[in-house]
Amino acid sequence: MRRFNWIVFIAMLVLVAVGTVAIQSAGNARAEAVFHGMWIANLSTALVGIFLYFIIAFTDYRKYLDIAAWPMYGAALVMLVAVLLLGSTVYGGRRWLWFFQPSEVSKLCVIVLLASLLGREDTRIAALKTTFRGFLLFGALLGVPCLLILAEPDLGTTLTLVPASLLMMFVARVWRKGLVTLAAATAILSVAILGAVYEAEKPDTPPEKRAAILKWLPLREHQIKRVRVFLFPDEDLMGSGYNLRQAKISIGSGGFSGKGIGNGESNHLKYLPQAISMNDFIFCVYAEETGYVGSLCLLALFAALLLPCCWIAFRTHDGRGRLIALGVPTLIFAHVYINIAMSIGLVPITGLPLPFISSGRTFLVIVICGLGLVQSVSVHRD
Amino acid sequence: MSRTDSIASDIACFATAFVFAAGLLVLALKLWDVQVDGSAGYNYESSRQSERRVQTGGGRGCIFDRNGELLAGNRTAFSIVCNAACHQRRTWDGTVDAMWGAVSEVYQAIGREPSIDKEAIRRHIRRSPSMPIVVWRDIDYVTLAKFSEKEGEFPGFSCSESEERVYPNGSLAAHLLGYVGRDRGESEAGDEKFNFFMPEMRGRAGIEIYYDSFLRGVPGEKRLLVDARGFAISEWTVAEAKRGPDLTLAIDLNIQKAAERELEGQKGACVVIDPRNGDVLALASAPSFDPNLFVPVLSQSLYDRYAKDPAKPLLNRASGGAYAPGSTFKPVTALAGLSLGVPADALYDCDGSYSIGGMKIRCASQWGHGPMDMRHALMKSCNPYFCHIGTEVGTNELFNAAVAFGLGSKTGLDLGVDMAGVVPDSEWKMRTYRQPWYPGDLAQMSIGQGMLLVSPLQMARVAGAIGTGRLVVPRLKAGMPVESTPLPFAKSQLDVVRSGMRLVVTGDASGRGTGWRAGEGVPVAVCGKTGTAEIGMGEMRRKNAWFIAYAPEKNPVVALAIVVENAEGGGITAAPRAAAVLRAVFGEEER
Repeated sequence: MRRFNWIVFIAMLVLVAVGTVAIQSAGNARAEAVFHGMWIANLSTALVGIFLYFIIAFTDYRKYLDIAAWPMYGAALVMLVAVLLLGSTVYGGRRWLWFFQPSEVSKLCVIVLLASLLGREDTRIAALKTTFRGFLLFGALLGVPCLLILAEPDLGTTLTLVPASLLMMFVARVWRKGLVTLAAATAILSVAILGAVYEAEKPDTPPEKRAAILKWLPLREHQIKRVRVFLFPDEDLMGSGYNLRQAKISIGSGGFSGKGIGNGESNHLKYLPQAISMNDFIFCVYAEETGYVGSLCLLALFAALLLPCCWIAFRTHDGRGRLIALGVPTLIFAHVYINIAMSIGLVPITGLPLPFISSGRTFLVIVICGLGLVQSVSVHRD
Repeated sequence: MSRTDSIASDIACFATAFVFAAGLLVLALKLWDVQVDGSAGYNYESSRQSERRVQTGGGRGCIFDRNGELLAGNRTAFSIVCNAACHQRRTWDGTVDAMWGAVSEVYQAIGREPSIDKEAIRRHIRRSPSMPIVVWRDIDYVTLAKFSEKEGEFPGFSCSESEERVYPNGSLAAHLLGYVGRDRGESEAGDEKFNFFMPEMRGRAGIEIYYDSFLRGVPGEKRLLVDARGFAISEWTVAEAKRGPDLTLAIDLNIQKAAERELEGQKGACVVIDPRNGDVLALASAPSFDPNLFVPVLSQSLYDRYAKDPAKPLLNRASGGAYAPGSTFKPVTALAGLSLGVPADALYDCDGSYSIGGMKIRCASQWGHGPMDMRHALMKSCNPYFCHIGTEVGTNELFNAAVAFGLGSKTGLDLGVDMAGVVPDSEWKMRTYRQPWYPGDLAQMSIGQGMLLVSPLQMARVAGAIGTGRLVVPRLKAGMPVESTPLPFAKSQLDVVRSGMRLVVTGDASGRGTGWRAGEGVPVAVCGKTGTAEIGMGEMRRKNAWFIAYAPEKNPVVALAIVVENAEGGGITAAPRAAAVLRAVFGEEER
């Protein structure tokens, strides 16, 4: 127990508690009674997760990681294919297989496989990974599940899994020229898409030009709308701009100290879009009720959760452990950053949950298990 | 792992931590912008979309007569209202159906048909879902009891109290008081200060409209918290509405009653004023209407019935009727003559008619009154005498005398209905009829016929002015400052006319005056003048009977004018009615 990292663990417990309160407040505002008890379901799921957390944390990951990596990855691929064939459609996406979301599960499986392959002391892999062929191989291991997830479609999961995996590859010295080029290309492409949408949607663009530009963009209708709202947040306030505006009103009207827990007006008066107030937009509910003080506390909690993981990564001598202790927090960080940034208009709106705070039971279990793995790295270091 | 590998990824650990910290810091800074710097703006936007400002009306002040008798008051009316928020469904149609279903349930329980239909609910929910809708308006106590018993079983329904105007004397003084209607108000400033206005009583006619802002009081403000679909979640009061002050009128209910009794079954008007200060003691017009039927809303059928009635019950004849004054104008002609030096004692020989410019004006006395002076000409109401005087003084002087008595212009009464009338001259006739002024026109005007038009209120003022020597501005509200102007006639000239008007009632050795009935049973000395104005020609010929008077003879305290349409004559029809009104003022004479 000497090596158990208490900071990460306690930060996680506090985040679970905060999430329970936020889900209760958001759920109470819903007309349907089924959401009123959602916080209980979420809390019990967290307890199950914490039980798994301890099992994982006190099991030596070094013995099982390499054994489990491929089967987990294979199972993830099977589930991702199954969800496309059998999944139920919710809000325009095929994401649910029975009671869970395979895309959330696959996040951890991909991280585990990459950590296992890139971190093991294997001269063949060490030789391969710095080459173009290695870049292609690991790129494919990431790319296949990503394409399956994009097909659901679930852009948010891809947007968080890709940076976490690329960071792991970068740390593990996978052909860096390729990684840097890929990152640069992604950045340039993003800017180009923003520029193209701006050009198409600005008020004085003739309609035929607009149609021509939008036809060539590799984006769906609703994605173009979201980019447009990001670029022109003050237009179409009752239509596509409604969600962002209500999110900002809700967060902004919280002020410095908030309106008090359970007193969030935007939420209770249903101005905040009800369908996502418990999930993607739960930060708005939380920030309105607790104000800037609450927002800052939440960011501090995430800092307390994420920064010690880097410390764990630094302290371990095992390559696999280091990659896990960097990959898992990067995944969480990507969720936190994109989720909060989109609610205040820093990035275009993308549907992804805020870890621990949003109600989403598959993701909650996966995040807790991932942190359990990080804790195992901390506990089992030489 | 090689040595260099491990160093590189050591740096990577810290670099990753740095990126995390930097990312969270960016969020913290941007959140400061939104939540602290931008908070006021977002708070404003939040309250703008979720708050509705409602103007609430204050209670309306009561109206009393000079003795404290209630003329217009309020009663508490109970209504059953429904708050739409309690029946919210996913769709508008669903909400309308749910509300209508709930209304039907309450209907079954209280056994009274709702005041509105489903369509009204639909319109209400579309337009102002945050406001409660009145489903049963003004219910009786039995219904109220039935509802109260089971109120808990009907979510969203509640009993609301409001005030309704009530006129305890029914049609009495209806023209003068006017009536109110329920109204969605408008913003005083015309800005966006309020989203909704509680329907409140607004004056629609008479005193109610003239003193509307006085009676209405100060509106209050209520705010509603509404959800994203516009349904009210809660409400709170920002400013209480203040009840309007009471209004005391100069009217004396007893005199008003007497005046209306005398006009019963007739068309006509009767005005009684205090010539010393302008207090209007009675302002009666017949036929009348019941203003209680106009509250809270005047039904179209009732309005049509009143509007199409040839007797024009909605017309305030007392201050808005335009009549030829007939012989009641003769005192004015007399004063015009006196002021131009016509001697009062000069005799004029009446032979029964007066001919001028090919026109023959008949006298009441078919064979003529014979030679008479001005006093007796007034007493007998001799037409040729006054035609002669009028012709002597000329149009300008006669015009000026009429204007000096306030004819041809508004009296300044504090009521919307205040007819100016017409005092014609050559210029007016040319402008109106494109015809020159003939000598016959002047002769006609001298005896109050022709194009001259006055209201009974103006003639009451004329009578009072002759009695006191000052022309007062009439007023309905008690306690207003007295405004009066002296007449441009010497006391000796006025005294001639006064004694002539006294003879009208008393008569003398030479016979009875035309208005002898006006003194019957009145304990004070009455001075007056009869008038019988002839309207129309041939078959359409009608006579309007007039009597104007003031009393007592010395230091008069009342002046009156009464006109009865389609009557026999001033002496027969109007004078005895004037006497009855004067008896209501001064009491019965002891025999």
